[in-house]
Amino acid sequence: MRVNPNPYPDLLAAVAQTQQQINTDEREIASGLSINAPSDNPAGAASLVQNADQTSQADQFERSIGSVQGEIQNADSALNSITTALQQAITLGVEGANGTVNSDDRAALATQVQGIQSQLLSLVNLSYQGNFIFSGTATQTTPYVLNPSSASGVTYQGNAGVNSVTLGSQFSLQTNVPGSQLFSASGSDMFQSIQDLINGLQSGDSAAIGTAVTEVGTAMNYIDEQSTFYGNALSQLNSQQTYLSGETTQLAQEENTIGGADLTSVISNLTTSQTSLEATLQAMGQTSQTDLFDYLK
Amino acid sequence: MSSLNASLSTALSGLLVEQGALQVTTNNVANVNTPGYSREVPVLVSSDPVVVSPLTFGTGVTLQDVQSITDPILSSQIQQQTQAQGQYSALASALQQTQVNFTTSSNDIGTEISNFFDSINQLSTDPSDLSLRQGVLTAADNLATSFNTAANNLTQQQSSLDLSAVQTVGQINQLTQQIAGLNAQVSNLQNVGENAGTFVDQRTEAINQLSALVDVSVIPTGNTLTLTTANGAPLVTGQESFQLTTQTNSAGLHDIYSQGNDITSEITSGQLGGTLQARDQEIPSIKSQLDTLAAGLANAVNTVQAGGYDLNGDAGTNLFNPPPASGVGAAASLSVAITDPSLIAASSDGTVGSNGNAQAMYALSSQPLINSQSPSNYYSGIVFNVGNDAANASAEESASSLVVQQLNDQLSSVSGVSLDEEAANMVQYQDAYQASAQVITTINDMMYTVINMDTLTV
Repeated sequence: MRVNPNPYPDLLAAVAQTQQQINTDEREIASGLSINAPSDNPAGAASLVQNADQTSQADQFERSIGSVQGEIQNADSALNSITTALQQAITLGVEGANGTVNSDDRAALATQVQGIQSQLLSLVNLSYQGNFIFSGTATQTTPYVLNPSSASGVTYQGNAGVNSVTLGSQFSLQTNVPGSQLFSASGSDMFQSIQDLINGLQSGDSAAIGTAVTEVGTAMNYIDEQSTFYGNALSQLNSQQTYLSGETTQLAQEENTIGGADLTSVISNLTTSQTSLEATLQAMGQTSQTDLFDYLK
Repeated sequence: MSSLNASLSTALSGLLVEQGALQVTTNNVANVNTPGYSREVPVLVSSDPVVVSPLTFGTGVTLQDVQSITDPILSSQIQQQTQAQGQYSALASALQQTQVNFTTSSNDIGTEISNFFDSINQLSTDPSDLSLRQGVLTAADNLATSFNTAANNLTQQQSSLDLSAVQTVGQINQLTQQIAGLNAQVSNLQNVGENAGTFVDQRTEAINQLSALVDVSVIPTGNTLTLTTANGAPLVTGQESFQLTTQTNSAGLHDIYSQGNDITSEITSGQLGGTLQARDQEIPSIKSQLDTLAAGLANAVNTVQAGGYDLNGDAGTNLFNPPPASGVGAAASLSVAITDPSLIAASSDGTVGSNGNAQAMYALSSQPLINSQSPSNYYSGIVFNVGNDAANASAEESASSLVVQQLNDQLSSVSGVSLDEEAANMVQYQDAYQASAQVITTINDMMYTVINMDTLTV
């Protein structure tokens, strides 16, 4: 059989192909990525898009956790201060209920309890980054204001709205409890109990003082119970944070598995390609450097 | 009875024929690097003998023909594979360019979708914060821009493919004209029984070039060839070529016409076929997927907006300008309708601190809004489609190039000029020439003997 007398086009094609492979390998090494364009691995590229979206989401959830954490911590410590203040009011009330205390002393105690009342008022009207934290979703409205015509001495101006924030693909967290639920619940109305105590101390009615002290105790226990909401929320935020940082790590590993360059094998491929390129070029250099014409005289 | 004169003429025929054969070899050597050249061989036959009863004497040698060594079947296979190669090479290079729009970057559509929903999630932590609201508007703007950029790039690419299609049509017309001319030269020579090998080679080469541009079907007709597109639009009939023309259509792109008929959709291979496939099918399909995504996303966000309240307690208005009802052009025209961040309807009850509606808007990120897929998943599907089409076109291009290369190899092993072979032939012809010359010298001596016979002394 006659052989192809002109092998150059074949050799050139081989050189072009090897050179293309070398370019691909070099691009992988330079970028550290095996997928530099969707066509490098279409399914992988699509997975990377989803991976990037999930990673971005997880990062955002972590930022959002940071944002709600501050508000919840503030609410939690406000409730602790309120419990302490109520504890003080109970101590004053028990002192005032004692039959040996005279009316001047009771008036002085009443004034002290009024001081606690205004302290409580400032605690429930606490704001965090410009938002009142106990006014439901009416965050720009002062939750409680003094109102002498009201039986409890105050009026709640907020609403009963609650917010939830999505902090995971399967996790959302309620971030507030409205003041009406915390401090004005029927049967455990904090301001009512304090007002009753003030009224009792001012009127000197031992029985009324005793009843008021019980009311304050009930309100305090109730608030204590409610404050577990914030405690729970904080611990859920912590565990979600742990979960998210694990997820982020996993997503990063996945990203590397799908789209990272396997440098060891790429470099080995590159070496092979370079050797093959040199061999082809050498073959080209030697091919038909001579033919029969060279030997004719 | 034989004569010295007859011998002289026989020897002369050898001299002349070997000269002719050497001429063929010389021509082969000269054309060793000519693309499409098929080697030629001299066809030597012995001349008709004379009968000088009772003997028969040969009368020398005749150079009957100079034959081109070709393989028409291989050539035709090469033409067909060249069409496929032209098609996939045009398609692959177009899609390589297309997919740049879908390569992950800091501002590709996928990243901007994530950023948009992230900004809403951040807003839900403090719905009355104006800077977070501004963050949502900025992210929405960036999202719209990423859609606009991708859609505009695709449209620009369509225009440049259109330009390239028009240029290709020009090249096709030039080649068909050339082939018609060659048809004339081939048939003129063949009609008088001459060897038209060189013109046939040139014509084959021109048809190869034409095959790289458009799908050609070659029909031998007598001494000439008829060329049509695969769907039968005439390109060359005998010595006449038919020009393809272009006309601008309603989309501002050029349609291809043959004899007054629009044949744009019928051209499927060759560079023109690949270019048209990218211009009329691949890119429009990607654009339409982007439109679906942009329209689906904008409408869903607007619907949620309408269900909530802005910072002033008013019902929400459109965040994105409503996309066209048909969805066509939604990606190119996507834009944000509001500039006042307080108009984002984050609240579900009209109070400033409510984030209920922001939550609902964030939930869109995982809802099956678009063809039963979340926005981000639908986008990853587009990336897959673009990447897959580009990878397939490149693979097809490599495969068809390899086949063309192998067929060319085969053809070259039949038709290629081998310098070794030509050198050997040259030596052979030279030897024969020298031998014939020697015979003539001998006859000359014999003639001398005869002429000087009377002066010979015994």
